[in-house]
Amino acid sequence: MSGGRNGYMLRRMVVKGVNGATSVGRAQSEGLPGLPGVAAVAVVVVAAAVLRPVLERLLDRPAVAHWATVFVAIAVQAMPFLVLGVTISAAVAALVPAGFLPRVLPRRPALAVPVAAAAGAALPGCECGSVPIAGRLVARGALPGAALAFLLSAPAINPVVLTATAVAFPGRPEVVVARLLASLLAATVVGLIWVRTGRDELLARARRRREEDGPRLAVLVATAQRDLLQAGGFLVVGAATAATLQTVVPRSVLDAVAGAGPLAFLAMAGLAVVLAICSEADAFVAASLTQFSLSARLAFMVVGPMVDVKLVALQAGTFGRAFALRFAPLTLAVALASSAVVGWWLL
Amino acid sequence: MTAAGGLISLLVGTVLLRLTLTGTYGRYVRLGMGPWLAIAGVAVIVVGLVTLLQALRHAHQEDAHDHHRHGGNERVGWLLLAPIAALLLVAPPTLGSYGVDRGATVDIRAGAGVLDPLVAGAEPTPMTLLEFGQRAFDRDGASFGGAAVQLTGFVAGAEEGAFRLARYQIACCAADAAPVVVRVVGGRRVPARDRWVTVTGEFRPGGGELPELAATNVVEIPAPEDPYE
Repeated sequence: MSGGRNGYMLRRMVVKGVNGATSVGRAQSEGLPGLPGVAAVAVVVVAAAVLRPVLERLLDRPAVAHWATVFVAIAVQAMPFLVLGVTISAAVAALVPAGFLPRVLPRRPALAVPVAAAAGAALPGCECGSVPIAGRLVARGALPGAALAFLLSAPAINPVVLTATAVAFPGRPEVVVARLLASLLAATVVGLIWVRTGRDELLARARRRREEDGPRLAVLVATAQRDLLQAGGFLVVGAATAATLQTVVPRSVLDAVAGAGPLAFLAMAGLAVVLAICSEADAFVAASLTQFSLSARLAFMVVGPMVDVKLVALQAGTFGRAFALRFAPLTLAVALASSAVVGWWLL
Repeated sequence: MTAAGGLISLLVGTVLLRLTLTGTYGRYVRLGMGPWLAIAGVAVIVVGLVTLLQALRHAHQEDAHDHHRHGGNERVGWLLLAPIAALLLVAPPTLGSYGVDRGATVDIRAGAGVLDPLVAGAEPTPMTLLEFGQRAFDRDGASFGGAAVQLTGFVAGAEEGAFRLARYQIACCAADAAPVVVRVVGGRRVPARDRWVTVTGEFRPGGGELPELAATNVVEIPAPEDPYE
């Protein structure tokens, strides 16, 4: 059933390697292979080493060097947060008994979704960490709408991000309040919309996640390893996309529309999606874009932690592409509306 | 999980640790993240090593063991080899002048209040480009009081008899970098683009868009350990 699902370049090579070496057949070909896989990793590394002069010549071009630096920077910057998220996700898998979460979490969506959105405040870090955790919550039977509300709110309303926002906008506490309220509102509304009209079957990938069995420590390591590779791979896709957009699209294009009201609003949201800045840093960028109104900059800070190219790649990897294709536009629309309302009210 | 996956994790962790130990990570993220990168690196190394050893130990009995269907999505982990290869082999440079002409520059007015006057001493006062810009903006540079200052940055382009000195501000990583730019006038010759320099001189009022420094001395230096402000 999984035959044509993944069109990744390496698939062919990997599958061939496995079939050529052992007779474990289809079940084995679903994952990274054993010893032939080790050889394949070695081949890739050696090939890269041989191509080193070519890489070095490429880096002599300023645009390529700029791309490579931004690409590596996003990947490196995200790793500690990804490791934190993966560790928490793995700890839930290893330590929380199956069936425990649905039992203790509120059942009524009207309560569960806002509670989950508010619970996002407890996870310090940026958006890369919350994706594997939300995936684990769904796998463990939490109400999907609630898990998604948590996914959206955690990177935006945790104390680290709010403190950074306060530092970036000195003497403007209303910006911090507006960010908190607009993010909570957007996360809750998206969660409730998902409960009413969402198609939970799109979350099949997260639900299907293999649960390891065995001693707790073994489960912890095995789950962490699998989540890390999966999320890490999609992080690479997202980082490459963001770096490409940053290199190709000059920011001055967006600055040109700074003046006009609704257009500036959309431009800031677009900028947030394209730049894929860590939610701990986006307030500083927003603060520096003084040519835009405070409301437009609020949209930048509300949209960024919920929808950006890196995050959509991570969500596609964890929950499935069909899910991400519906979820990202829905979230973008709600986040924009929420920041418009809160911005108009508070700023 | 399998040996190849373990090996990839091991490589990821090693690269993270190596970045921290060599200080190269300063090109990509702010220096304060060093300890977190090191912790993440060690954690990933442990996970990768355990996975690798277990996979190798069980290699011969995988037939019996591996009945589960995998997530169907794990091969995407191979993509991690791309940044690993980039970092192990070539280590992309710090951001240079390419981005200065393209991105929005830092607005020096954000957060600048009334600044304390500088004390003119025997030695020039080293300061960030941001502080220089803020002082220049504050009451038309009154707080300089004619004191000599020293700025360090890279050359972002030449103009007639002058060059633009730039340095990026980063909040988290190079993806959010925004440049601060100062125009340096009166240097005897203009150093090559993207070369790092330390410039000594005095603030010159009336620079217009960019704050201006009248240079008395321009020295080329190697790129500093923390290339960002």
